[in-house]
Amino acid sequence: MLSRTTIDELQRVVGAANVASEPEDLLVLGYDSTPGIHHLPEVAVYPTSTEGVLAVLEIARRDGLPVTPRGSGTGLSGGSVPAKGGMVLCLNRMNKILEIDEENLTATVEAGVVTLDLFNATAKKGLFYPPDPGSQKISTLGGNVMEDAGGLRGLKYGVTRDYVMALQCVLPDGSLIQTGGKSVKDVAGYAFKDLLVGSEGTLGIITEITVKLIPPPRDKRTILAYFSDIRTAGEAVSKIIAAKIIPSTMEIMDKATINCVEDYVKIGLPRSMAALLLIEVDGHPAQVAEEAAAVEVILRQVRAAEIHIAKDAEQAAGLAAARRTALSALARMSPTTLLEDATVPRSMLAETFAEIERLTAKYKLNVGTFGHAGDGNLHPTVLCDERDLEEMHRAHAFYDELYAQVLAWGGTVSGEHGIGIAKKEYLARQIGAGGVAVMKRIKQAFDPNGILNPGKIFADERE
Amino acid sequence: MPSSEKLGNFTEQDAPTYESVLQCMRCGFCLPTCPTFALTGRERSSPRGRVALARAVAEEKLEFTVAVKQEAFFCLDCRACTTACPSGVKAGEVMEVCRSQAQQQSPPGHMASSFRSFILQRMLPDPDRLEMSMLPARLYQKLGIQWLVRHAKVLKLGPSWMEKAEGMLPALDAPLRPQEPEITPARGEKRGRVGFFLGCVMTLMYPNVSRQTVRVLAAQGFEVVTPPSTKCCGAPHLSEGDRQTARELALFNLNLFMQTEVDFIVTDCAGCGAALKEYEELLESAAEHDRLVVFREKIRDISEFLAEVGLRTEAMQLINKTVTYHEPCHLCHAQGISRQPRELLKQIPGLELREMNEASWCCGSAATWGLKFSRESQQVLDRKLNNVSQTGAELLVTANPGCQLQLAWGVREAGMTQEVVHVMELLGAATLDG
Repeated sequence: MLSRTTIDELQRVVGAANVASEPEDLLVLGYDSTPGIHHLPEVAVYPTSTEGVLAVLEIARRDGLPVTPRGSGTGLSGGSVPAKGGMVLCLNRMNKILEIDEENLTATVEAGVVTLDLFNATAKKGLFYPPDPGSQKISTLGGNVMEDAGGLRGLKYGVTRDYVMALQCVLPDGSLIQTGGKSVKDVAGYAFKDLLVGSEGTLGIITEITVKLIPPPRDKRTILAYFSDIRTAGEAVSKIIAAKIIPSTMEIMDKATINCVEDYVKIGLPRSMAALLLIEVDGHPAQVAEEAAAVEVILRQVRAAEIHIAKDAEQAAGLAAARRTALSALARMSPTTLLEDATVPRSMLAETFAEIERLTAKYKLNVGTFGHAGDGNLHPTVLCDERDLEEMHRAHAFYDELYAQVLAWGGTVSGEHGIGIAKKEYLARQIGAGGVAVMKRIKQAFDPNGILNPGKIFADERE
Repeated sequence: MPSSEKLGNFTEQDAPTYESVLQCMRCGFCLPTCPTFALTGRERSSPRGRVALARAVAEEKLEFTVAVKQEAFFCLDCRACTTACPSGVKAGEVMEVCRSQAQQQSPPGHMASSFRSFILQRMLPDPDRLEMSMLPARLYQKLGIQWLVRHAKVLKLGPSWMEKAEGMLPALDAPLRPQEPEITPARGEKRGRVGFFLGCVMTLMYPNVSRQTVRVLAAQGFEVVTPPSTKCCGAPHLSEGDRQTARELALFNLNLFMQTEVDFIVTDCAGCGAALKEYEELLESAAEHDRLVVFREKIRDISEFLAEVGLRTEAMQLINKTVTYHEPCHLCHAQGISRQPRELLKQIPGLELREMNEASWCCGSAATWGLKFSRESQQVLDRKLNNVSQTGAELLVTANPGCQLQLAWGVREAGMTQEVVHVMELLGAATLDG
């Protein structure tokens, strides 16, 4: 139990309005979007400056208080859940865009800035910040960096990591480090920045982020293809990639997902189709025309049931927005949605869909699958009821077997959601005992007392 | 949502269902749409947080505490989160039911309780009493006392809500209900017969708006039946957590309108429309399901109705004005009606519609919320007025009396020039007599 003195001290350093310890506040800061995971923190702190973060961490270090950073709590592996109690460090009140540097094509923001707000602010200046996780309207840049979030445009434009140029970070020992900068090239010493990206809040607390911006594509075209067999859709994706075309987006939804999304958005998605692909090509107008034509040829070759071209930007945006609701829309079907993040080499997509179908039947489950097909990154989602323990058992067996196959194909257990609490065991299977041991040594070097986001990525010694 | 089995730490009567809270998968799509989360950045004051609190009460991880009660009433019930939720969670409705729990589990003190039951159970259900009660307010304006009070700033001495409430009073005319004929004949080629649900705030505060609604309906070829014995729709009761009185009123209105031979039941108050459309759930165990379905299928907001049947625009008058449209929450979020009022406005010759940013963001009125949380309400209102003034429109159009009161007051206080009108006032002005 946290002492009154500690709470008083926290209130003194960040202001009384920025510390919450009522049970109702704590209760709702014990979750993110990961199903079935909830741990109560003892106090929540909302710093409004880097100095505030430094002062708060000083108190936490002295008292040995676990600290879990949190943005908007939209994570999908439990990264911002306070697994060992202690303090939740909410960064959503540090939400200023500090600079958009049009000479160096960079933007510098506080960690709590919402992803879409940055996108819109840079778009106003004729610039483009590509990473667009499904939750971009809600998620924070700090959270994106910590989980190395992907998104719909990952196929052509990469993920958050590819845009991070510099980080300001508070380490658990009380030091403030700057790593990286606005220089395009930088090989001075170890790449701390790259170590921090995707570290899930276990190494340091990021307070400021400088990202790379690029000029926006001048033209784009959105193609919608329907399939009567999901494996054909997988084949289409592999063939488009093999034809050396890199669309900006190549998203898939299966029948269950199409129907749930259509229930919500009502834009006339094909309810009877086994799958649809949402493909967007962008770039120079001439290149767009050429690539769109080539994509259409392949879609015809594999015998897509129907091919449609979005008639304008508004319709295209509507389709992308619809796709972003997929996971939440699937939640209409059942009380619990267990989602995974399996990623395979793209040549194995059709086989992966076949495997998901086989396992769905084997374990008698209701599964909706959607994802970033072009990245080989799928989100098979088991629609279940957490009150039905037997069903939950089958769901976990489904994922166990699926991951074994994914790893055998050279895939990964997490394409973009991170390990967090949910996938610790799977990580160990993927990287082996040696890999885990190195990761633990790195953790030890940054955070010898283990106060930063304990209980994540790998089991700690005391478990 | 009456349930027979007790759920966790809720009482049996009027509790949320477990399914309604379990449905939330915590994706957070609601967060950027919630005005109270935008104000506070505090998770418990967000739809996701509120549903999580309700779930914790249902799972006996939390008592129905003072903080839960506070959140139930701090929620604007604007339903923006319902629109935003892909999973179909209705956080606003869950909070509305929790307001009823609040009244059951931690009733207000004696004075507040008597005042509340006086308003909800004695005044609102009785149209005659309501009309009588407005007489002093009208005299207050007519005799120039209002002028005196405002200029002497005596209300600065009282609680802040009192000054705001006084400031919000529009220029009052005699209530419409006793004046409006029960049957208004259709003009021109007759297209049907509709019942008009005249809401309390409309008849008392905006009699001229509803007069135009009936006039336009008649001019559009509809015979209009306005039953004089219509009672309050029950929305204020739902909002204050008195679901029992709401059910009694709903049952009365259901019977009244089911006895009246009409094709549709039309209202020009978004709050009433939303409540009428929820009778089906409210009266679930109190009336036959079939009758509730028939009733539900007849309910139309006036703009929904006119857009559906199509406006006869031949004889419409030119109105050379620029307007911007504020969407009432209980129209766009609770009833899903966004497109129709805009379509009607665009059909008025000469009228130019300029879209504002965040047209469907709440204005901060939200029944009595604007008086209970006057400081927060001002912040929500300022955001709205900023969006209004950026359009440079001459008129601010809306479709709900609560919004109209708040916006007219806000525009005046901010020294802005926009006149605030109901869609039907414009359609009325564009409609010729004879």
